[in-house]
Parts: sequence; structure tokens; C-alpha cells
Amino acid sequence: MRKALISLIIIILLAGCSTTPNTDELAVAIPTDPDNFHPHQSVAAATAEIAFNIFEGLVKAAPDGSIIPALATEWIISPDGRQYTFTLREGVKFHNGRELEADDVVYCLDRLRDPEISPKSRDYTDVESVKAEGNKVIITLSKPNAVFLALLTELGAAIYPREAEDQLTNKPIGTGPYLLEDWEPNNALTLTKFPDYWNPQLPKTDKVILKIIPEPSTMVNSLLTGHVDLIPRLEPDYLHQVENKPDLQIIDSPMNLVQLLAINNSVPPFDDIRVRQALNYAINREEIIQGAGWGKGTAIGSNLTPAMGPWYKDLTGMYPYNPEKAKELLAEAGYPQGFSATLHLPAPYPLHRNAGEIIADQLEDVGIKLKIEVIEWGTWLEQVNTNRDYQLTVVGFTGRIDPHTVLNRYQSQSGRNISYFNNPEYDMLLVRGLEETDLAARVEIYQQLQTILAEEASNVYIMDPSQIAVMSKKIQGWVNYPVYVLDLARLEKVK
Amino acid sequence: MYWLKKLLGVFATLLLVSMLTFTALYLIPGDPAVLILGTEAEHQDIELVRSQLGLDRPVAVQYFSWLAGVLKGDFGNSITFSKGYSVSQLVASAIPVTVPLAVAAMILSLLLAVPLGMLAASRKGSRLDSLILTLSQTGLSVPAFWLGILAIQFFAVRLGWFPPGSMPKWSDDPAGAASSLLLPALVLALPRAAILTRIVRTAMLETLGEEYIRTARGKGVSEWSIVTRHALRNALVSISTVAGIQLIQLLAGAIVIEQVFSLPGLGRLILSSVLLRDLPVVQGAVFAGAALILAVNFLLDSVYPLIDPRIRGVA
Repeated sequence: MRKALISLIIIILLAGCSTTPNTDELAVAIPTDPDNFHPHQSVAAATAEIAFNIFEGLVKAAPDGSIIPALATEWIISPDGRQYTFTLREGVKFHNGRELEADDVVYCLDRLRDPEISPKSRDYTDVESVKAEGNKVIITLSKPNAVFLALLTELGAAIYPREAEDQLTNKPIGTGPYLLEDWEPNNALTLTKFPDYWNPQLPKTDKVILKIIPEPSTMVNSLLTGHVDLIPRLEPDYLHQVENKPDLQIIDSPMNLVQLLAINNSVPPFDDIRVRQALNYAINREEIIQGAGWGKGTAIGSNLTPAMGPWYKDLTGMYPYNPEKAKELLAEAGYPQGFSATLHLPAPYPLHRNAGEIIADQLEDVGIKLKIEVIEWGTWLEQVNTNRDYQLTVVGFTGRIDPHTVLNRYQSQSGRNISYFNNPEYDMLLVRGLEETDLAARVEIYQQLQTILAEEASNVYIMDPSQIAVMSKKIQGWVNYPVYVLDLARLEKVK
Repeated sequence: MYWLKKLLGVFATLLLVSMLTFTALYLIPGDPAVLILGTEAEHQDIELVRSQLGLDRPVAVQYFSWLAGVLKGDFGNSITFSKGYSVSQLVASAIPVTVPLAVAAMILSLLLAVPLGMLAASRKGSRLDSLILTLSQTGLSVPAFWLGILAIQFFAVRLGWFPPGSMPKWSDDPAGAASSLLLPALVLALPRAAILTRIVRTAMLETLGEEYIRTARGKGVSEWSIVTRHALRNALVSISTVAGIQLIQLLAGAIVIEQVFSLPGLGRLILSSVLLRDLPVVQGAVFAGAALILAVNFLLDSVYPLIDPRIRGVA
């Protein structure tokens, strides 16, 4: 009996010792589980962010938003813009050990564009054929499509081995720097270094544990006590808890997210452009950036952010904060006393909720009384996003690297056009933007699209909120992208 | 016959629970397909995903095909929350978090409440008694989530005795898993202990006033022995009834505490799957929760005769 007791104590002590942290390991806090790792099924930003480290496509996005080689080392576009010839990288291996073949690329891209199976097929309707020729893949389009290459950087166009088709949802097999070793829903994901990664320099760290922590305060406490090394996306409300800590560094960078007060243009009084313009004049963007974003964010004037580089047109000067002008416009539109309306706010997004409350306060100054209804995300998606049964809402639209996929939301027939924006010139320009192959001419078109959205006062575009990453000072290699990804491969902890 | 009736009752309750959960999920707005596709959804995508998930079938058909699966022991697969995982897997990994948490909280609250309640009862009207009653009143009025946040700030952040949240797997790091559960169990236990202290005190006072206690005192039995051996045993019947109800409330309280401490338990599983409208997971997790509560009730019914010989004849 005593012997048993002693050995039990020894076992407990040993178990205690085994928890000494490994230095070549990083713990990262994320708020939710990924939904589904199958590249053709997953649409959640939370999944794309992690999958960026597991899967790769022919090309990928660089931190500056340009398109760089990944599984293809080079590509040639035919002069008529219809044929893309990709040369595959030699000796690339999948996580299951098999070598990448051109047939895998054909298989994945054919499945991706099959409208019977893939909800993402709509983006690829211009693809006529995908063919393998030795180590080359030739993709032929029915007409030139300027967005095509940018689409190939997205998770949907990831290349995976055919034989893994049925297991991808929770056991992804890709070619990326990390492989998914373990996923315990509601608790943690463990990524380990893929030793046969085609770039022997990466990844820098052997093991990354993504801890799923839904409460931002618990995230912060875990960082303060060293249980996690990095919070990639901190809610600005918690900024003060991590500022001025000697062991921590805070890196804020543009998120390329369009935060807006979306207006239902089809219902009175918002079908009157003067009312929408009045809203634009009555809202003080700087105050929202200070109040909701704690000063972290960049004001915007249309549905594109400065993170889009040359595509972006600064339209913030079109509606300077001017409550008097707003009152005049309201009076002109027949509302000298203002009116009442309902503002729906999505519960899980404190940034949008806080912005909405500030907006309600600002609009009250010009006589518009907003009734705030905070609704849970599932309800928001159904009521506001799908059924468009709303007047006003605050939300954020995720950025992509090509302006077309961001701005085509306002095409009059688009299912994503929650503002019911309807402008024939806009629709026509969108078609031209896709077919135009000259870069300068394309830039001109997309700047014009942004101008139309602003002139028509389609919505009130507020800001590109900053992504606030907080990490231990020992962490190096943090890279920010204009798309929603988390590049873990370059991160390392130095002593 | 008695047990057969009990068992039938259990099955009827589980069936009712599953029907209510199913109906509730259909009444609240927010379709799983809409949640999967998010803000980038086009209407035709929603239709495609709905049909892939089998959500385009009539509601009754969906319910009975789920029920048919359950009868074969198949609770289905997650559709939105973590696709590819079976509901049984998800529930099976959550139970080793929630059950030890609730049981540990129960034990802690009994360890606190029984001695304090007995002490208060044996010194009725003294300063000690009123101190214990005041403490219990305070414990009752403090919401558990707030207590949780305070406890994390003090014990985890300031003192560093416990991790501030999340939990390693039992198989990887049993000591770490146990230490992750200790603080939440304590937070969960305190309000329960506050109620139980009062129950123990009242039950003890009632028993201490009975004739046989006076007889024992008359015989010269020591006060310690009277309280612990004679009175406590009698008071145990009412204490265990309340403790059983408390255990059920602990399972419910775990939903909040698991969220505050980021523990991968049943409560958090229910919450995350409801938010994402993961119908099969909600069904399975609520089913498991209901089954646990019924099991507690069942155990309680079987324990009574052991404590109180007078009940034995009835069953």
C-alpha cells in the first residue's frame, strides 16, 4: 500500500515535470474553431487564415498584395489574355509524402469550377478548360478575365492530392509549410513543421499551437501570464491592458476591411439620395475611429481601403463632417424634424457595435433617432444579409487582393448587394473592368467605380480598422497581409 | 416493474427533450447554410449548400431521419462548427471536462458547506453563526461569471498559481488538466456552497431539536459525537436531496464558467454549436446533457434507501 502511494506521488511529480515548455514552440490565441478545411467548401475567414499555412495554390499573395510564385515557378499569359501556361515547381511533396503532379492541379481546379459540387464555382465560370502537359498546366478562358490570377491565390484554388478528397474536412493534406497534426474542437489545433517543404528555409518554428479562446479578456490574461505568445487579432477595447508592458510588442497594420454603415437604398426615406448624403455629412468618422477603434484605423470614403495600393482612390474629402449641411439636406428632402429608423448591430463584433452606438449619437444631433437592435450573428446573416429586411446596419466587408471581387458586390443583381445599390453605369464599368487587360486602364475603371459609390452616397463608408497584433518581444517575423491570413511560417521565438 | 417504469420515464423525457431542441432550432432565425457562407453568400450558393446538408427536406423528415440514426447509435456529424467530426466524438471529448468539473465543484461545495453549516447550527445565535450566515448571503449574491473573472485576475494573473484559461488533454498532461479545472471548480462551488451551508444549518437545527438527541445528551454523549454521529446522519436525507438538485444546477452553471475559462466542455460545445446553428451537434450535446441530469436523478433515487432505512420499504 505504501509502495503504491509512493509510486503514485512519483508519477504525479513526473507528470508535473513533463510540462516544461519547449522553446521551439509557439502558442497563438484565436477566437474560434475553423469550420471546415476542404478548400472548396470552406468560406470562413477563420479557416482561410489558418489554412494559408497548410495549403498552397499555383500562386500566392505577397505581403504587399502582389502575386508571387507558389506551386508554379512561372506563368505565361497569351497576348489575347485567354491562355495561362503555368510551369510547376520540381519536387514538391504533399503532406502524405506523394509528389505533386500536373494531374492533381487539373483535378482540383476542375472540381472547384463544377457548379454541381462547389459553391465557389461562380468565380470560375470563364474557365473553359484545364489541361496537363508534362510539368505544365494550361488553363484556357472563354474571355479575358483580369481577376483570374488573383483568384488563384485564394484558398479555393489550393492544390491537394486526389486520394485525400474524402478526408480534407478535418484532416487537410496540402503542400504548405505546416501540417495539421491534431485538432481538438473548442480547444486547440496543433501544427507541426512539414520537413519536406519545398522551401527549406521555412517554417522557422517546429510547432505552433493555436489555442481557441473565445473571451478576449482570457486571451489577454493568457498572454500576460505567458500561456500564449501571440494574439494576432486583439479587440481594440482591450488595448489598454497590453499597452506599456515591457515584455510585449504591439504591431498595428491595415486590415483591408471596409467598415461601413450599410444603408438599404430601396426603402424610404433612404431611397432619397439627399437623405443618404445627409447621413454622410452627419457622421464624424474621426470620432468613430477614436471611440470604437481606440485611434487605430484609417478613414475611408468608398468601398475600398488604402491597403489596396494603386487601386485606391481617396474620397474621404467628399463628405466632410458637417451637421448643418446634413440638416439642410434633410429639410430639402422633406424631413426638417428628422425621422426615426432602426439600426441593426451584429452582437459578436464589438467594433461594429461600438461604432453603431457612436453613429446613433451623432445622428441624433441632426434629428435622426435610431433604435438600436443588437442581434446575434446567425440572425444578422439571415435577416440583414440574406433577406435584406433592415434599414441600417454596421458591418465589415473583408478585403481581397483584386478590387473587382470587392466592388462587384454592388452590381445591381449581386446576391451580396445588401444596399440594393442600382446604377447602370456602375454595372457596365464592372463588365469592362473584368475584360480590360491594360493595367492603367483597369486602375482608371476601378477608381471610377469607387467615385460612383461615393457620389451616390450608397452607404456611409467609415474606416479600415487596424489589425492589432500583440506578442511577446521575443517573437520575430510578424508579417501583415492585405488579405485575411496568418503567416505562421516566418514567426520564431528568439532567446 | 418499478425500474421498468423509471426507465420508460427516462426515455420519454429524452424524446421530449430532443423534440423541443429540434423545434427551438427551427424557430430561431439563422440557417446553417447562411452561417457557413457568411457575408460573401449569393442566393444560389445558399440553395446548393442547403441541399448538400439535406436541409431542403421537410422538417419532420429531418427529425425522424435523425431519430432513426440515434436508435442505431449514430448521432450524425457536425455540419458547421467543425465539419468532419462526428457528434459522438465531440460529445465524448467534452464529457471528461464537464463531469469532473461539476463533480469537483460538488465535492468542494460539500467540503465547505457541511462543516460550516454544522458549526453554525451547533453555535446557533453566536457571532460565529451570524458570520457564517453573512458569508453565505454574500456568496449567494455574487454572479459566478464575475467571480470567475475576479478569480482569474487574482489567482492566475497576479499570483500565477493556475492557468488563466484553456486546458490540456487528460492523456497529454493529467496534472495540467487537473490544475486547469481547479479554479473554475472553486468558482462554480462557492455560490453552491453558500446555499448548501444554509440547508445544512437548517437541517441540523431541526434534528438537534428532536427527542432522541435530548436522550443522547441525557446519557452523557459528548456534543461532538451528537453532532457528527447522531444528528448529521439524520440531516443527510434533506442535504442529499438539495445536493442532487445542486449538481444539476452545476451542470447548467458549467456553460457560463466553461466560456469564462475557455474550457472545452459540454456547455461550451452547446453554446458554440447553437451560435453556428450546427443542428446535429446541438441535438447530441443537449441530449447528452439531459442524459447526465437524468442519471444524477436516478442515482439520487437509489441512494436514498441507503441513507434512510425508512425509505427502503417504499421502493
